[in-house]
Amino acid sequence: MTVVRGRDLRGDVVLDVDAVVVGTGAGGSIAMRELARAGLKVVALEEGGYLRAPDFDQREDHMLPLLFQDGGGRTTEDLGIRVLGGRGVGGSTVHNTNLCKRTPDAILDLWARKYGVEGASMADLEPSFASIEKDLSVSEIAADDINPNNDALRRGALALGWKGAVLRHNRIGCQKSGFCELGCAYDAKQNALKVVVPQALAAGADLYSDVDVRRILVERGAAVGVEAIAHDGVGSAKRPVARVRVRAKVVVLAGSAVGSAALARRSGLPDPHARLGRGLRMHPGGVVAGRFDAAILAHRGIPQSYECTEMLSYEEGSDRRVWIVPAFAHPIGTAAMLPGFGAAHMRSMRAYGHLAVLTAMVHDETSGEVDVDSDGEPVIRYRMTEPDRVQLAKGLVACARILLAAGAREVTIPAVPPVRVTTARELDALDTSFVRPHSVPLSAVHPMGTLAMGKDPRMSVVSSTGEHHQVKGLFALDGSLFPTSLGGPPQISIYAFALHLAKHAVAAAKR
Amino acid sequence: MKLPRLPRRKVLKAAIAFGVLGATGSIVALVRSRGYEVPEGVRGKLVGLEAWQYVVVQHLARRVCAADEPGVVTPDEADVAGFVDSYVANMAPRMRRDLGRFLGVIEQLAPAGLAMSSRFTHLEAADQDKVLGSLESSSSELLRGGFEGLKGLLFMGYYRDARTWRIIGYDGPRVEARP
Repeated sequence: MTVVRGRDLRGDVVLDVDAVVVGTGAGGSIAMRELARAGLKVVALEEGGYLRAPDFDQREDHMLPLLFQDGGGRTTEDLGIRVLGGRGVGGSTVHNTNLCKRTPDAILDLWARKYGVEGASMADLEPSFASIEKDLSVSEIAADDINPNNDALRRGALALGWKGAVLRHNRIGCQKSGFCELGCAYDAKQNALKVVVPQALAAGADLYSDVDVRRILVERGAAVGVEAIAHDGVGSAKRPVARVRVRAKVVVLAGSAVGSAALARRSGLPDPHARLGRGLRMHPGGVVAGRFDAAILAHRGIPQSYECTEMLSYEEGSDRRVWIVPAFAHPIGTAAMLPGFGAAHMRSMRAYGHLAVLTAMVHDETSGEVDVDSDGEPVIRYRMTEPDRVQLAKGLVACARILLAAGAREVTIPAVPPVRVTTARELDALDTSFVRPHSVPLSAVHPMGTLAMGKDPRMSVVSSTGEHHQVKGLFALDGSLFPTSLGGPPQISIYAFALHLAKHAVAAAKR
Repeated sequence: MKLPRLPRRKVLKAAIAFGVLGATGSIVALVRSRGYEVPEGVRGKLVGLEAWQYVVVQHLARRVCAADEPGVVTPDEADVAGFVDSYVANMAPRMRRDLGRFLGVIEQLAPAGLAMSSRFTHLEAADQDKVLGSLESSSSELLRGGFEGLKGLLFMGYYRDARTWRIIGYDGPRVEARP
């Protein structure tokens, strides 16, 4: 095994391997591990840096530029939705909140029925789910570990008689510091960075960090490698230090639904049915804040341990497509979320320790697109459909009801203008047209679906094995595979699908 | 499924309009770039912002972060503009360019939109607040979105300062508690 940081390179590099993996998050780490365990010569290229627990100093201003694409400032083209994607070894598993939910049966059934996805029933996937859950030590979050913010959701949902449940996670030795989204300084996250990448390295895989893959090389209808630029890894800036060219029999795309699609598009891959980069889903969500008399101190403890699924159905076209979980942030994130500015904003911030915050994420049916600009950088186009807008509005109102039912003194939906209510009766009278494009700050943390799998090349980009319909030896093994939204946290689904499909990449590399 | 045509056209139109506004703002800012007093010790050391942009950011921070709050650390004391300067230096070129244009819009065009004859940095605080309020509630999605993004950047500069944490009862990083 070799681990090379871009800044350590002193000249251009040419590598000749069996397989190259682009990205080292949930999907990429599994791909590099499985390819290496099959005895293949494999190298993984990661755009971001190789940070470890001692590097995570729990400061937002330090960690956002290191762990997130564009320093956490990436948005849709129209600036309407902030899109948070990970960068660095371990990808988004480094900064996510460790939620572990399997792909719902109804979603797998839909993929088989409507998109022709084969060999991906729950029975087919069960061994992969079980294996990754064991590797990542997945367990139910202990009742004692539900912090007051999550407890507000639990109490509110119970008071309303709404469905909810304690979530499962992949942590061991959690210190309950509450800094999960800035990387775990205590190495308690059992994620790609801590568990799977080391397994891959132990199996003989090589890893290059701070290396930005710019082009997939294709010859006579088959992927034959990639070209990349190594950079010095400082912040979001890319200061090139060397070129890296990798020749390989198999190329695995695992740079997220945004990164993989952008790479495929700037590489000019064949796209006879205009599917490449299309079908983007991302669970766009807004937040609602409730001010309580009692201290909540939501920034401490496990950030997300309880979910409300009262408004969540996985049936296609359902009018209940909202997943509700707590969402709290440290001061910078909270300040950006609260409405207004100046003295009024400071008054809201003074209530920081008394705020409980929930998010309503839409199990979206909007079909967005990842394109590239003239520099080859991702451009995300996503215009929420009217049914999804209605879902979002209903979800935000539901969050407000939960917080009031839990005892909030006042609830704020940070719209323009802000919606502030103190009673459920005010919510009954609320016209949900307050949710319009750009009228509420939205974030999305789960991009999916830009290289969707399926049987029919007119409806999908890759086959049910993950291999590109037109380019042999090119595989997608990340969230871009999913033909639709999942309606929940995607990490376990990404790990499991990568594990389930990696055998096809192994076979292709041995062809 | 293709994206709906009408919204795409609208977005394109808005983007063009924003680009034109931004470019105009930049040109006007260049023409009227005199009269920006950058503190001694800062001029010549800027790495991401131009001098006039630094001054605009400084004025914006004073109204956006903790305006008129007695007894709290001020945005100047927290060096919000200095933080933005260094942060911008690490931004992707496209984002950096867009931010510069947007600062030009705020400085030159947004006050004119409210029939104010002075540039933003020459306005009284109350008028500056009116300008910012107009951006926050603008009918232009891009102006609203741009203002939200800028707010986030300014708040990052302000709330990164540990002295601000005491104001809101935040106890800060706990890495010293590492076992």
